[in-house]
Amino acid sequence: MMERLFFGAVATVLIFSALMAVGTRNLVRAVLWLGLTLATTSMFYIMLHAPFLATLQLILYTGGVLSLMLFGVMLTRRSTEQHGVEVHNESNGQRRALPIVAVAVGLIVTAVGRTDLSTATPAAVSPETREIGQRILGTHLLAFEVLSVLLLAAMVGAIVIARRKDASLEGKDDPRDRAAALPGSRLSSERET
Amino acid sequence: MGLESYVLIAGFLFCVGLYGILTRRNAIGVLVSVELLVNAANINLAAFAHFGRGLDGQVFVLFTTALTVAEVVVGLALVILLFRRRKDILLDLANGLKG
Amino acid sequence: MTLVTWALLALFVPLGVAAFIGLVVPLRRTGRPAALISVAGALVSLASAGMVLAGGSAALKPGVHATVGWLTAGTATAVGVHLDGTSAWMLLVVTLVATCVQIYSLGYLHDEPPPALGRYFTYQSLFLFAMNTLVLAPNLLQAFLGWELVGLVSYLLIGFYFRKPSAAKAAVKAFWVTKFADLGFLIGLVTLYAQTGGFEWTAVTPAATFVTLMLFFAVMGKSAQFPLHIWLPDAMEGPTPVSALLHAATMVAAGVFLIVRAEPLFEQAALTRDVMAYVGAFTALFAACVAVVQSDIKKVLAYSTCSQLGYMVAALGAGDTFAGYFHLSTHAFFKALLFLGAGSLIHAVHSNELKDMGGLFRKMPFSGTVFVVGALALAGVPPLAGFFSKDLILEAMHHHGLHVPLAALAIAAFLTAFYMTRTVMLALFGTPSHAAEHAHEPGIDMKLPLAVLALLAVGAGFLGGPLAGLTGHDYAFHFTPVGGAGTAIGLVGIGMGYFMFGPAQGGAAIKRGFAPVGAFIRYGLMDRLATVAYGIMLAVGAIIAWIDRYVIDGLMNWSGWILLVLGRRLRALQTGNVQDYVYAVALAVVVFGAWGILR
Repeated sequence: MMERLFFGAVATVLIFSALMAVGTRNLVRAVLWLGLTLATTSMFYIMLHAPFLATLQLILYTGGVLSLMLFGVMLTRRSTEQHGVEVHNESNGQRRALPIVAVAVGLIVTAVGRTDLSTATPAAVSPETREIGQRILGTHLLAFEVLSVLLLAAMVGAIVIARRKDASLEGKDDPRDRAAALPGSRLSSERET
Repeated sequence: MGLESYVLIAGFLFCVGLYGILTRRNAIGVLVSVELLVNAANINLAAFAHFGRGLDGQVFVLFTTALTVAEVVVGLALVILLFRRRKDILLDLANGLKG
Repeated sequence: MTLVTWALLALFVPLGVAAFIGLVVPLRRTGRPAALISVAGALVSLASAGMVLAGGSAALKPGVHATVGWLTAGTATAVGVHLDGTSAWMLLVVTLVATCVQIYSLGYLHDEPPPALGRYFTYQSLFLFAMNTLVLAPNLLQAFLGWELVGLVSYLLIGFYFRKPSAAKAAVKAFWVTKFADLGFLIGLVTLYAQTGGFEWTAVTPAATFVTLMLFFAVMGKSAQFPLHIWLPDAMEGPTPVSALLHAATMVAAGVFLIVRAEPLFEQAALTRDVMAYVGAFTALFAACVAVVQSDIKKVLAYSTCSQLGYMVAALGAGDTFAGYFHLSTHAFFKALLFLGAGSLIHAVHSNELKDMGGLFRKMPFSGTVFVVGALALAGVPPLAGFFSKDLILEAMHHHGLHVPLAALAIAAFLTAFYMTRTVMLALFGTPSHAAEHAHEPGIDMKLPLAVLALLAVGAGFLGGPLAGLTGHDYAFHFTPVGGAGTAIGLVGIGMGYFMFGPAQGGAAIKRGFAPVGAFIRYGLMDRLATVAYGIMLAVGAIIAWIDRYVIDGLMNWSGWILLVLGRRLRALQTGNVQDYVYAVALAVVVFGAWGILR
């Protein structure tokens, strides 16, 4: 009984915070609601006897990804100021997105209902973290190594993408004017009108 | 709690993320929604690992986590580039590839 | 050395030469040495082909088959050489004409810059390899390889003067028209494979009609049959020796050769053969009409080639393989001769236009003579080469009861004689133009191939008997009413052409020879009749040329335009908004998910 109550509470918090993360107009708040969702997910991991994952979730996501996103929001702050606070509920997008999401929910419920999942019983003992490490460096060694290459590529790629193209221009004039002078932006501003 | 509860919750979470991807105008808002999607998948993996008495599910969660971090890093770099070019990060205005 | 060794030599020496002068860096840029190496390679290839033919007419009869396995996954296929009378003779024709053309090119392209010359001869050697691959193919798959390779080389050589926009366009046009037709080849191949599990020439399959129709579609593209002939006149943008080799003697005849080779398949498909008979006869007539009103000497010859290929296709459609094959080989000689002869006229006056020529016979007696020989052979004057093969085709049509195609071919024979006479009169006799005043004979390197081909244009008709023996057919020349009528029609055409374009413009020696004919035609009513007939012919020719230009070309342009409009409409789907694309993905996931779950 207690377990049910606890699960219900966690699930409610999870879904509610996710809805807020998607629905709130203020971007900073949206990111913070996402943080709550991620933290609640780690509760699920604990209930699923995966304490290592729960810890990792808190450290990596709530610590790393969240602060990264907050940086992103801050760096692009002027956007939200210019266009008012994030206008996300475009009626057009909403009208076409809702049916598809409703159908998706229906499909998932149907699929879960049709599949016999209740016979599966949880494992009695939780696996040790040591075993996970052995798995990673044993069976999944190749995937692990490939992943490290991917991370390196992502790092290099992010630097290359976000780097300023012409260092000599830096600090000479207002970056806003420079952005406006780029051919791409002029083209798109014409499209907007 | 049975496996189906976890799977259902993960499914709902996924749909919320899907809705966010489709409706958010702001690029960072879309990134937030993508995080929700990945989390839904991760919950599923962990749940099946627990109920299927295997460890591979947990290992996979680790891998997807690393992948997500890479995705966020590159995604934010793109957002910043977009911002520098256009002074905003609203996706529906960034339609330079319009045919 | 065995026959197969010789055949392999004929096949791979040109490839080696092409690779050598194309890849060894300084060689191609030096031009002349590369050209000489290429000519030497062609000569080796020719000698090998000669050895194959000389070595064993007895051995050739059952056919020599030497292959190695290739793509052996699943059902084994093979590449290699298949030698019998048909392929051995074709090998000789191809290498002979190619050698003549290469030697001729030494003189014709003398003023080209060295790198261009090296490029040209690299392509020439590559062409020889490609064509031999096709000729020696032991199955349809290798034939397809060769088929595509010659198409590629054709594209490269038409676009040889690629800085000239019209040449570049012509190359692209030729490429995509023939590629479009080649789709038929591919479909036919796949169907054949699905039906029989192989690519054999002699396959027996209930789907033969479909397969052969598809193959014939490819032939229509390669051998310039109506309505896919539109690329051939444009292909005249290439250098004249190229037109002689690829677009008159060998490559365009590859389609005809393919049908000859795949005879067992085509024998199973009566419908395809009927289609071939009518398409071929119509092309022969149609192209001959157009040729009458062309002002460009190469265009005259190009349409003439279309027309003659129509003859061959019609003969094959009638089921008389030997008639088509015989005409293929004689045509290869006299049409190459005509093109090369026209090339030396063009070389002398630096223009393709007939009006820039005139009176060249006096300045260039040798080139003039060989051109006249070629024209007479084409017109079917006995005992030149065209006489035998053309009569055989007419006779075959008659024998198989195809009277409508026969009539079309007979009219085409008349027109052929007529337009060739017109061309000869305008180019070689009459008032010399300004440019023609300074014309002079080409050098020995151009004269020698002309002489060789002229001899063959005169004598190849007498090879009919041995050739029939070699390919396992039965042929001996004998006079038939139909053939005689065909020859008579040709002579009337010559007389008419002479009457229309001859007398006013001199050319004393020839004129005296034809004087009785001229007097006969000039007499009384014939005069007016001829004028009216010429007027009608001119009008019909002009109308058909107009249809070719605007309706048939227009049809192609129209299909392009449809695609353009369709593209413009579909472009609206690309909004450039990322979320629209995500929406499409989500929609697809939901649809497929629903299909998977609710099924």
